[in-house]
Amino acid sequence: MSKPIAIIIGAGFTGVATAHDLALRGFAVTIVERGDICNGTSGRTHGLLHSGGRYAVSDQESAIECIDENIILRRIVPQVIEPNGGLFIALDESDLAYRETFIEGCQTCHIPVKELTPQEALKMEPNINPKVLAALLIPDGTFDPLRLALSFAATAKSNGAKFLIYTEVTGLITDGKGSVTGVKVLNRKENKPEELHGDIVVNATGAWVGEITQLVGASVPIKPTPGVMVTFDQRLVQRAINLLNKPGDGDIVLPQRRMVVVGTTSFEVKNLDYVPVVEDQAKLMFERGSKLVPGIAKAHTRGVFMATRPLIGSGSSGRSIARTFKCFDHKETEGIDGFVTITGGKATTLRAMAEKTSDVVCQKLGINQPCTTKETPLLSYRQYYMLPN
Amino acid sequence: MNINRNQPSPGKLLQWFNPLGRKLSFSGFTLNRVSALGLTLYLYLHLIVLSLLAQGPNAYDNFLKLIHNPWFMFGEWLVVAAGLIHGLNGLRIALTSLGIVVPQQKQMFVFLMVIAVIGSLIFAFRMFTTF
Amino acid sequence: MSMTKWTITIQVYRQKGEALPHYDEFKLEVDPDEYVLDGVERIWAFNDRTVCFRHACHHSTCGACGMRVNGVEKLTCITPIREVTQNGGKIKIEPLRNFPVISDLVVDMGSLYSNMERVGAQSVLPVTEAEIERPLRSWPKEDSQYIRLSDCIECGLCISACPISTTSETYLGPAVLAGAQQKGVRLDPNLLRLVDCEDGPWRCHSAFECTAVCPSFVDPARRIMLLRQQIVLERLTRLFRSEPKKMTVKEANR
Repeated sequence: MSKPIAIIIGAGFTGVATAHDLALRGFAVTIVERGDICNGTSGRTHGLLHSGGRYAVSDQESAIECIDENIILRRIVPQVIEPNGGLFIALDESDLAYRETFIEGCQTCHIPVKELTPQEALKMEPNINPKVLAALLIPDGTFDPLRLALSFAATAKSNGAKFLIYTEVTGLITDGKGSVTGVKVLNRKENKPEELHGDIVVNATGAWVGEITQLVGASVPIKPTPGVMVTFDQRLVQRAINLLNKPGDGDIVLPQRRMVVVGTTSFEVKNLDYVPVVEDQAKLMFERGSKLVPGIAKAHTRGVFMATRPLIGSGSSGRSIARTFKCFDHKETEGIDGFVTITGGKATTLRAMAEKTSDVVCQKLGINQPCTTKETPLLSYRQYYMLPN
Repeated sequence: MNINRNQPSPGKLLQWFNPLGRKLSFSGFTLNRVSALGLTLYLYLHLIVLSLLAQGPNAYDNFLKLIHNPWFMFGEWLVVAAGLIHGLNGLRIALTSLGIVVPQQKQMFVFLMVIAVIGSLIFAFRMFTTF
Repeated sequence: MSMTKWTITIQVYRQKGEALPHYDEFKLEVDPDEYVLDGVERIWAFNDRTVCFRHACHHSTCGACGMRVNGVEKLTCITPIREVTQNGGKIKIEPLRNFPVISDLVVDMGSLYSNMERVGAQSVLPVTEAEIERPLRSWPKEDSQYIRLSDCIECGLCISACPISTTSETYLGPAVLAGAQQKGVRLDPNLLRLVDCEDGPWRCHSAFECTAVCPSFVDPARRIMLLRQQIVLERLTRLFRSEPKKMTVKEANR
């Protein structure tokens, strides 16, 4: 029996993880991506491997997803992770007041949390604000965004997945009976139009899902929400340093190689393809970052950039929307078969998003294959470039 | 696969002698090769000249009269300069090749080339004032 | 980020399919504190969707956005426009040298990644070992428990800038040799056989361009020289103890 054919649109975290999952379940997978791997939101994540602490109070569903996936990723792809943990530190009374709620939240979500005295915290991280009043240790980490995706992509490739990069979807092919049967693409490397046919098309374009769904008149409640990140040129801390309070702007400082990254903000935007840096927001990162790690005030800026998160749901500001993910089966929502959209979520939960999506796909096609990605170690990210397509 | 215009190839050897967009140490690399080519050429010429000795004292004396013009002397001065540059630069390369003084190699290059320039100027002065 | 705006011209190398390469010019209004990569991204977003260029992290950790800017290798996500031109000026952007061009500014770095894999260059390592010997500051002993991503982001700038890599397809290249040095030939007999060859550190002729263009503090030139020391020491040591089993080239290259 020939393999079922899956076409995935988008080679960000969701796309490559889904390609990996479906390839393991015996699908013939083709990914089409209009740029290169991770050139959208995924590449620009600040790289925080969430322990879930940030969401342990306000969004416990998200928090549990995070801690579970944190442990899995440390197991299957350690070669792209700085696994040194993280601190939540209190700098004023309002932070201190949050402490109890935070610890309870972590315990409810089975996130291992250990309280340290300010002296212990300063011994561990001499560069944090010396006025630290309380410190909590949780298993955060840092990962390399592109290399995380490449590890999934390499493993998928080794199981037969094909990656068509610089290949832009220009339309969805329907069979006239309300089903999507393929995609029309433009190969930008040679300026050649092509057509691809498959049993299922998975829309994994993150913040851009709306642009793909509208090709067949469908829609999803996506709210693209950009935020700024600023990088500084010194590795001032070994762990992620978070502000012990409700999630806000500029309350994360994390190390990566010889740098620290400070993030982030939240606002709305119409044009997703180019979001210029807002100077006030960059300044805010500098100020807030310096509060957590005073050495930032004397460090040089290495880079400033914007990343557009895919948040789901209508409603008010970006911070109040849940950070969890959702897989939309368009047969249920608009009666269009052969087409699913997966969006939302965060980098840490990429494998879980792929599992959910692949479950939906298998269920739609009547295929009975369980997910094996939890236990499958990933190949070296370099294999992506070495394996032929 | 597309046209591989950008691939490495021995035919791109001339790029070794193009200083555009390059840092100072690259000039050290280029100078070493240029001076080496110059010195090698001189070596061959020198051997040819020495072979004149086999042809008797007249042949050699005639040659010595020939080289007393400024162009030849300039050529000989170039040999001295090339020898100084190649030798002193070579000293730097010999040290760095063994991992010694690598972080300060740029300053060493400048220092040694200044000595080479001073040495060349002294030689020029002596060669052309006794001319 | 400043409030002033500059008008600049960006000249982009273009190449599609089997056609001959040419340059396209784009006039843009930019913030001079934006980065060269932002300029290219603007061209793609607002002027010409057919421009192919590679980028991911925008903060010098992925190594995807290496290009030649006015003839010099740069990591474009951290190269401010202000650094390479002035108001009314021109920026020429070309793909890296010494790698086959896939399209426009995108090159195929498969050979670099393949060689990095062959020498087993480490992607993560203890922070106390990540900097070159005699590090810039002394690390407290407890810090050896911390793991970090290595300095080398495999961006290919060093290989593009290396004159030997320009004339030799088989030369391993600065990044690869630096990765081998970091790993250490003393600990890995396979590695010794792999790098102690005519395409290894002996082929370097001290142009030092690699260290000059490296955006990530790897200092490959110095690492190549230290690799030579490692090899010489290891070879001498072997002379004075019983020889390990001789390997065939095939076994060494597995």
